[in-house]
Amino acid sequence: MFTTKSFIKKNKIGNFLKNVREHYIRDDIVCGFSSCYSCQNIQNNQNIGCSKDNFSSNHVNRCKLVEGNHYLILDTNVVLNQMDVLEDNLFGNVIILHTVLNEVKHRSLPIFKRLMSIIDNPSRHFYVFTNDHHKDTFIHQEDQELINDYNDRCIRKACTWYHRHLPKEKFVFLTEDNESKRIALEENIMTFSMSEYVHNLSDKHLVEDKLAKVSSSFPFTGKDIYQAHMSLVELLEGIRGGKLYQGTFKASRENFLEGYINVDGFDDPIIVQGREGLNRAVDGDIVAVALFEKEHWTSPTEIILEDEGVVEENIDELVEKEKEIKKAIKKKGDIKPTGKVVGVIRRKWRQYCGILEGGIEGVYQLFVPSNRSIPKIRIETRQAEFLKTQKLIVTIDSWPQNSRYPHGHFVRALGVIGHQDTENEVVLLEHDVPHSQFSEEVLRCLPKLPWVITEEDESRRVDLRHITICSVDPPGCTDIDDALHCRIIDDNKLEVGVHIADVSHFIRPGTAIDLEAASRATTVYLVNKRIDMVPELLSSNLCSLRGGEERFAFSCIWEMDYEANILSTKFHKSIIKSKSAMTYEEAQLIIDDKTKNDDIAFGLRGLNKLAKILKTRRLEKGALVLASPEVKIHMDSETMEPLEVEVKKLFETNSMVEEFMLLANISVAEKILQDFPDCAMLRRHPTPPSTNFDPLVKAGKHLGFDIQIDSGKKLAVSLDQAVSDSNPYLNTMLRILATRCMLQAVYFPSGTLQKSDFFHYGLAVPLYTHFTSPIRRYADIIVHRLLAVSCGADSTYPDLLDKHKSSDLCQNLNYRNRMAQYAGRASVAFNTHLFFKGKIQDEEGYVLFVKKNALQILLPKYGLECTLYLSKKGDESLFVYDEEEQTQKAGNVVFHAFDQVTVRVSLDSKNIQHEKFVLQLVYPYIEGFSVKPLIESEGADKSNMEQQTMDYQDKCNEQVSTMKKNKRKTQSNNEKRKQKKKV
Amino acid sequence: MSRKKELISNIGLRLDGRRAGELRRIRCKLGVFSEPDGSAYIEQGLTKVLAAVYGPHQVRGGRSKAQHDSAIVNCQFSMAVFSTGERKRRPRGDRKSTEMSIHLHQALVAAIKVELYPWTQIDVYVEVLHADGGIYPACVNAATLALIDAGIPLKEYVCACTASLANDDIPMIDISHQEEVMGGPTLTVAALPMSKKVVLLEMSQRFHVDHLPKVLKTALQGCVDIKNILDVTVSNNVKEIGSSTRWGNMT
Amino acid sequence: MLILSSEKTDNPARIERTYYLISENIRIDGREREDYRPMEIETDVVSHAFGSSRLRLANTDVLVAVKIEVDAPYPERPLEGKLEFFVDCSANATPEFEGRGGEELAVELSNCLSSAYRSEEVFNLKKLCIMKGRKCWKLYVDILLLEVGGNLFDAVSIAVKAALWNTQIPKIKSINVDGSNIDIQVCDDIFSCTKLDVTGAPLMVTVCKIGDKCIVDPNAAEEQCSVGAVVVAVSRGNICTISQTGTGSFHPDTFKSCLILGISVAQRLEDSLTETLGEIKANQDVGFLK
Repeated sequence: MFTTKSFIKKNKIGNFLKNVREHYIRDDIVCGFSSCYSCQNIQNNQNIGCSKDNFSSNHVNRCKLVEGNHYLILDTNVVLNQMDVLEDNLFGNVIILHTVLNEVKHRSLPIFKRLMSIIDNPSRHFYVFTNDHHKDTFIHQEDQELINDYNDRCIRKACTWYHRHLPKEKFVFLTEDNESKRIALEENIMTFSMSEYVHNLSDKHLVEDKLAKVSSSFPFTGKDIYQAHMSLVELLEGIRGGKLYQGTFKASRENFLEGYINVDGFDDPIIVQGREGLNRAVDGDIVAVALFEKEHWTSPTEIILEDEGVVEENIDELVEKEKEIKKAIKKKGDIKPTGKVVGVIRRKWRQYCGILEGGIEGVYQLFVPSNRSIPKIRIETRQAEFLKTQKLIVTIDSWPQNSRYPHGHFVRALGVIGHQDTENEVVLLEHDVPHSQFSEEVLRCLPKLPWVITEEDESRRVDLRHITICSVDPPGCTDIDDALHCRIIDDNKLEVGVHIADVSHFIRPGTAIDLEAASRATTVYLVNKRIDMVPELLSSNLCSLRGGEERFAFSCIWEMDYEANILSTKFHKSIIKSKSAMTYEEAQLIIDDKTKNDDIAFGLRGLNKLAKILKTRRLEKGALVLASPEVKIHMDSETMEPLEVEVKKLFETNSMVEEFMLLANISVAEKILQDFPDCAMLRRHPTPPSTNFDPLVKAGKHLGFDIQIDSGKKLAVSLDQAVSDSNPYLNTMLRILATRCMLQAVYFPSGTLQKSDFFHYGLAVPLYTHFTSPIRRYADIIVHRLLAVSCGADSTYPDLLDKHKSSDLCQNLNYRNRMAQYAGRASVAFNTHLFFKGKIQDEEGYVLFVKKNALQILLPKYGLECTLYLSKKGDESLFVYDEEEQTQKAGNVVFHAFDQVTVRVSLDSKNIQHEKFVLQLVYPYIEGFSVKPLIESEGADKSNMEQQTMDYQDKCNEQVSTMKKNKRKTQSNNEKRKQKKKV
Repeated sequence: MSRKKELISNIGLRLDGRRAGELRRIRCKLGVFSEPDGSAYIEQGLTKVLAAVYGPHQVRGGRSKAQHDSAIVNCQFSMAVFSTGERKRRPRGDRKSTEMSIHLHQALVAAIKVELYPWTQIDVYVEVLHADGGIYPACVNAATLALIDAGIPLKEYVCACTASLANDDIPMIDISHQEEVMGGPTLTVAALPMSKKVVLLEMSQRFHVDHLPKVLKTALQGCVDIKNILDVTVSNNVKEIGSSTRWGNMT
Repeated sequence: MLILSSEKTDNPARIERTYYLISENIRIDGREREDYRPMEIETDVVSHAFGSSRLRLANTDVLVAVKIEVDAPYPERPLEGKLEFFVDCSANATPEFEGRGGEELAVELSNCLSSAYRSEEVFNLKKLCIMKGRKCWKLYVDILLLEVGGNLFDAVSIAVKAALWNTQIPKIKSINVDGSNIDIQVCDDIFSCTKLDVTGAPLMVTVCKIGDKCIVDPNAAEEQCSVGAVVVAVSRGNICTISQTGTGSFHPDTFKSCLILGISVAQRLEDSLTETLGEIKANQDVGFLK
């Protein structure tokens, strides 16, 4: 059968087209029950796939409302609103109608994706019934019938059909819409609302908590706390008429009663304050805002207000705080547009991570999100005692007018608060790192053990087992993906080889393991945990180029003269046997030990010599040497508590390995671009816009150095020249600053950009790619595949050559890499906090920036950046700030940027979700401000100590305010900081 | 990795409800006009094409074009300005139409027994009324029918069909406009389905060589299926016309 | 019938016979001078156009589709929409139309149509205005000649009127003005559209002079016999365009009687067209398969 669907659609250039689509109606769509004889016949006749069991007889839905087992048919609104409930394993044997699936896809893509992953999971027994193509369930949309009514009619039609088709089975229709329910009941369809159904489940345990609270279910307590929102139509009308403005709401982190709305066409964001101003907007929402008359405009309050509410009913404290805002002095010059939120155009609610705090026992709990921009959320749970010890995930369902807090529901618990595993989980979740166990399907792709090298393998690979190859890595490294060799082949020729683990031999395109690796994109390193991109068997064994074991490698071999000029380059797959897997330190010792004269020592020395030449040459071309304090945290292997934090030591050998990796990457980049001009996967580092360098140039100026930023080369030279005899660390500081000016390096397929944009700014090379770490980076696997095709060792496959697919892939790689970096840093930060817990230490630091009321201090030993406040709020400051010179002066002590200081570091754990460092000045000593060094005061009486702690507590309370502001800055700086780390 | 652009749902149905190997509905008719010597109309899904054949007749224009050993096959492809979603500015004469005319010529010459009509010309005109994917195949199929209607001897039917690859894996046949826009490369094949000879093959984008054989096989199967459908129409037509002379009963 | 359809030559005997018969008020196919040949009309034949019709007048076959675009109005007429006619002579009709062969005829037809539709009383373009001076609808009326069996002007004008009658203009849901950028949203539902008012849309009647008598709806053979013809476009009983074709000349009295004949025939056509359109059922899905 055949029919058409018509609709009008707008095209890109603003014209309206009438689209007509075919719509075939079939008689071979099955109901999905293996017990259904007539449908089985159809399936057998048509020979469509295997007749896998869509429904399970083992899974039984038990609900008091229905006698015995039954099957569920869901309405669209149930899927859209109650996804968290549906994700619970308790639900099975569910029929998803195609009408519903399409509607969900149309309304919310994230929900659709979640639904699809349930459907794809065979153990859940969700069956998609294509009702809109089935001859008995298809109905025509009637003249003047609204699309929603039509869809509802389709759903009811399918329910009735199932009921008639399988009279022995019970089908239950779940909907959230009262009207739908009424009509369905009229048509004799067994119908319940989702909450009715869930509350009557026999085994409801946690599921009940996950029910989304639809606003109508909240008892009306009389008093409205918020002004009513305008209807969407009114909002759009208002925006069109220019009376209202549309923008994204950003909540202030410091003041829960303040927020900003960025509106196109306004230079400044519109300020909204208080209950009336915010009117239930949540960070990220797209809202409509009404602007006040100019005389009511105000300035940002700059005061810190924390929501201390613990119960929902009482808003006295809230009213009090609103008054406080009103009182806050309005600076004349700083008047900004002010308004109030009159309605929400689109909510951007998602899942939030946090803890429980407050509430009324047995009635509801208050959830405090770790993200300060998000309000507290009211949830109902029957397991409050347990959840109070946990970090958990909660989502918002609604925010009724008469409720102080938004209403949400519990999604799941992550683990005990403050526990390493929990915090790791939080870090991984917050950075969207895929970290579930590898699936069975993925593990099936692994080679069988024992793994042996066959004759066929040998015939296809160059045998390099006789060559003295060794690897140099950080201590404790188990995923060794590179090894090196160097030997004399002629009087004036050297042969240098870089051997990279041949991961692409094991990970074949399109297999489950390949898809999983592509999605993970990178191995993520947390302080005490590694989330592998490929299963351990590969990452730490078969691919890892361990000493003394025969391994497959992809080799890049150069012939060089003693001046490190490349005479020839070749690439081939090989079999190697690394003679030794060394640490940087061990390798360094061998090089330095003149008594050693074996092949390894000779090779290392040769490599080292060449590397130095290569490095000099590279720097001459304008490559940047940047710095970022990188720290290593030593863990107690049993308690998993950090024992020591130290800066990573660097040896000459670090640089040696790095040089050859760079060289290999560059050589490979040239080769693959030559053979695949359209789809070579490369890595570029864009030149930063000159405004990015402003802080660096300014800092240089105050110190009397002229930092040139016109080109990479000039920047490199001027950084080299900025040396101070009195302060050896100054140069490093400048480089740290320079690092923060950089943009992120990214992967891209060569066909998507102009050749001039391929440039790598940091390394100052026109072409670059990643070839040397295929065990931990997916980009390298792709590059390996490309190179394998180039040198005839492997064949292509379609996606490899598809520019658009590669482009999509790159986007995922870039995203995951960025997130992996952030996750790594967050993990370091957490562990540093853990390390400092209960400790008070004096540490050496440097002034990074001079601020109006504070000094930004860098503690190189811990890679920490903290704020030292120079004045308490309200107190007269001892310091005089010179904005021109960027100095702070107190008596005869003057602080410049990059000055060395000693500070006392401790951790403020008052807020368990937001621990932070507190600094006190030790040296230079300023009367009335600094504290005595610990060593001296160690013998001093305890009371003094206590006094100090008290002081420090006080200070905390006041400093938290300004601290928070700076904390945010630190974070964003942090993000920039390590960009260079993995270029 | 991503779910977007999924052309076949996990229960094996395409966006319009067909399965991968199913053609769109084909409806056709011979002899729609009285003026031309042969004419035909075909609908493949929503794609609608009219074809008209004039000839064999004396060569128009200069006699110099005439060939001593075969007939000249003159093809013109034209699309009504309203045939596409967005209105076309001109019905023919653009690059694409010219290319289509050439391709049409290529497929038809392979089937027409041109050697029977030296010094003559056969005009084949096709007019697309609604373009909804697979224009070229519809034109070839319509032209075949019109040639049959005109009584011009053919070696065999010449049929055309498109095929593509859904979800990077499943070959699918007879691509609609929606699928053309969303999906990957489209392979267009014109073939002599009885002798399984390919007379024209065209790809809209790059195809990976690994996929080509199975997609080509699918497209050829499509040509055979189309031929069978056309065949029914032709024999019905013959029955109808011949009913007065009792030709129809003879087959 | 068979003889007529294959009539292509200027056989003098046959011409003679035509002349004779017409003077006797019997035409070669048996019609009287003011009779039309049988006509068939269908609407909604082009599903993806906003309106369409197909008219078959004996062997003349015309397909008309109406497409809509958003455009800016002419500065001198800020309150009016636009209407454009485009005629395409398909080579399917005759090999003579191949390439650009049909262009001359096409231009003649489209010019005649535009001048007939020019007056506000005939077709009110103000209904097509979306936003004064900024945005309006532009209607493209595309006419495809598929077979030519005489009396093209009449056939085209009837088909055009039917297509416009069938046309549905999307309903505007909202207009968003943001500086020079105007964003228009329409109801995507095909059922919520407005129809055009076509009561004034003109019909054209070709009055053909053969000998000293006038006939309407000439077939191809009669057109060849005629020395000249007058095309009269009539809207609500008023003439909106006259165009004379052919090589012959008219006596003012003959001319006048031609016009009178035209008006009365147009009225008859108008009535039967309105009646027929009213009887058309939606969704017939037949087209050329009949």
